[in-house]
Amino acid sequence: MSDVTANKELRIVGFLCNWCSYGGADTAGVGRFKQPTDLRIIRVPCSGRVDPLLVAKAFANGADGVLVSGCHPRDCHYSEGNYYARRRLEMLKRFLPFIGIDEKRFHYTWISASEGQRWQKTVTDFTKRIHELGPAGKAVLDPADKAVEEMAS
Amino acid sequence: MKREAGFIPKDGWNAFLASLAKRFNLYVPCREGETILFQPYHAESVICLDRPAASAPKGVIFPQSETLFSFELKKKAEDPRKVDVELKSEGAPQDTAIVALRPCDARGFSILDPVYMDVDPYYRSRREKTTIITLACPNPYPGCFCTSVESSPADKSGSDVLVTELDNGYFLEAVTEKGRTILDDNAIQDGAGYKEEAEGRQKAAHDRVKKAFSGGKKVKISQERLLSDEFWEETTAKCLSCGACTYLCPTCYCFNITDEQTVNRGERIRSWDSCMFPHFTLETSGHNPRTKKAQRFKQRVGHKFVYYPEQYGDLGCSGCGRCIRFCPISMEISKVVAKLSEEGEGSTKDAAEGARS
Amino acid sequence: MNRERLKEAVAEILPGVDAVIAYGQGFDAAHGEPCFVTKKEELEGLILNPLCEHNLASYLPSRKNKKTGVVVKGCDSRTIVQFLQEGLVKRENLVIIGVPCTGVVSAKKLARALDHQTVEEVRFEGETVIARTPRGEKRIALADVSPDKCRTCRYPTPLIYDVLVGEPIESDKDPAAVYDDVRELMGKSLEERKAYWEKEIGRCTRCYACRNACPLCVCQDSCIAETRDPHWQSQRSNLSEKMMFHFIHAIHLAGRCTECGECERACPMDIPLGKLKKKINMDMLDLFDYVPGIVCEDKPPLYTFKVEEKKIEEHEL
Repeated sequence: MSDVTANKELRIVGFLCNWCSYGGADTAGVGRFKQPTDLRIIRVPCSGRVDPLLVAKAFANGADGVLVSGCHPRDCHYSEGNYYARRRLEMLKRFLPFIGIDEKRFHYTWISASEGQRWQKTVTDFTKRIHELGPAGKAVLDPADKAVEEMAS
Repeated sequence: MKREAGFIPKDGWNAFLASLAKRFNLYVPCREGETILFQPYHAESVICLDRPAASAPKGVIFPQSETLFSFELKKKAEDPRKVDVELKSEGAPQDTAIVALRPCDARGFSILDPVYMDVDPYYRSRREKTTIITLACPNPYPGCFCTSVESSPADKSGSDVLVTELDNGYFLEAVTEKGRTILDDNAIQDGAGYKEEAEGRQKAAHDRVKKAFSGGKKVKISQERLLSDEFWEETTAKCLSCGACTYLCPTCYCFNITDEQTVNRGERIRSWDSCMFPHFTLETSGHNPRTKKAQRFKQRVGHKFVYYPEQYGDLGCSGCGRCIRFCPISMEISKVVAKLSEEGEGSTKDAAEGARS
Repeated sequence: MNRERLKEAVAEILPGVDAVIAYGQGFDAAHGEPCFVTKKEELEGLILNPLCEHNLASYLPSRKNKKTGVVVKGCDSRTIVQFLQEGLVKRENLVIIGVPCTGVVSAKKLARALDHQTVEEVRFEGETVIARTPRGEKRIALADVSPDKCRTCRYPTPLIYDVLVGEPIESDKDPAAVYDDVRELMGKSLEERKAYWEKEIGRCTRCYACRNACPLCVCQDSCIAETRDPHWQSQRSNLSEKMMFHFIHAIHLAGRCTECGECERACPMDIPLGKLKKKINMDMLDLFDYVPGIVCEDKPPLYTFKVEEKKIEEHEL
């Protein structure tokens, strides 16, 4: 886990669906919209592919924030994927604070391929929010926690 | 001349622990909520001696997960094509002491010793650096059957010092040279005068432990019954293969070695494995010789009561009873051994029927 | 709980099934245990009293193609309903003996109440447990040593059965109280909750007893907490890996957990695992008006969707 205080960027992971949201990010790029560079994108075929455990693993590996974005409901490239995603991610959003991860660090939204401006705003606002919250620090899920030579207890 | 016996009054116990903590990494049974478990000692520890800990302190000498070595792949700026591997092994263990474990726990170490001492440097170095100060049990606890395996609530094997609680203090007996060193302390009074009282307590406790099966170390396991599929199917119908028994056991010693790596660094980890898990015997070919829980439980009982004795001459079970106490479905290894031993009914069929009851 | 009627019911269905899963006496007077009855002679060993806290439905998925009889309480019957929703058992292979129940005894709580003494005898008189240890006899109110789930039980009468042994019972418990313990924890601050779970999960030994005792965790052999390919988790026994395992377990039970309590019962370290699942269940109820294990024809909420979700609003940044 790199020292995040060395540079000013925080680690924000974005799971973007290939068709709408990745396209939207691409549109923002083509339009040269300025946005913070903290967000690192992982492209998935559909927001329905995003397993809540992927989000948990991202936090466990040191992410300070996680964003998931897919097609708008009714517009899923695969018809139904984002309906499943909506249910799962809402459940996840309510569960994270229960185990001690601030739910403000996780955000899911729907951005279509033409919404470059909306993408820029989302990234900018989310990055700002994560910077306000600060580094996640030692989350409950934290692999930097060295193997403790303890007994079974 | 070093003392063989010592005595600490009740109000001197905490000071004794504190002084041990200065010389050793000290592990004591602590109470957390309703659970008692071995944890590193510190001044605010809530120590509980009322009953044995939920898990054995086996992990102090044989940790649940242990990094054998860690590695990092490093590239040189001058020549990025060249990758160096940096290896780091863990430092040497420090002087450690475990206090107030029970004789069955300590006996667990003497059962692990013949397996690991000669071949496992990690185990050996920790074992040599650990002093074991055992607390004798005043009475049996639910599930205990130590006397059936020729142990007892005051068994000394595996211990350096045996402590027996009396009304007004604790009687300490040195078992080994390390134990005599512990007793060689001005804060500990001479214990010779308390020996008789302590022995009386120990015998009373011994007599209260119910025998689950006879024969002790020489318990004769019926080959016919051991090999009977029907017997094991009936016996294990209720088993959940949960694995709790193996994780709490003072004598279980199976392990797994895995390489855990991310990108350019990683560790080789040895961690506890459980023969109760279906994947325990999964081979790289995909074949698994023990897919059924009947086969796995047969192996567990066979290992402790047949194969280990054949190799090392002692039973591979210390009779602590944890596996019975914590089993969600009341599987009783002591009862299974009783049914397997030739004092049970004559035929396999009878034993299988007996197994159902 | 009428033992004689139960014995009759088991005797009647026994010829038509491979085995009947019922309750027998456990390793000592204070424990029951599951008992696989295949012969009439074994009926004498059956018990039916508050020591019957085990969820016998756990054994059913591995016996999917065998005709099996099973004794279930109200909470256990929810497990069977959930199995039917997910296709994990075949209804035609089950003969269900339902037992209406007003509460069982948690063996762990009873042991605590008796100061962990060896128990020589246990009797039940109405709502009282009378236990004898070497220190003498002790009378304890059943309500004081029953598992938490009994205190908020909404389904004392099994929801599905072929034979009902006893008169149906109506719940006298407040349904809103089921999630009181979750709400209490939600009322604390984020840091307090994090510290709470770090302390509780810190005791975990990753023995997987909770997972293996859970009737709905059917992956068993192939659990992703143990697979090497894909490699989700390492074998390190640190807090992070333990927490991740419990996260996986809870998320994979989302909308499926029937709150039978086996996970907590099996845990040798007394970790309050039920709370994690109950939190998700509370959200399932709020978001989708869904309670697991009630209606056989239902579909678990995360297996399905609605185009318009009444309770899910888009989140603003």
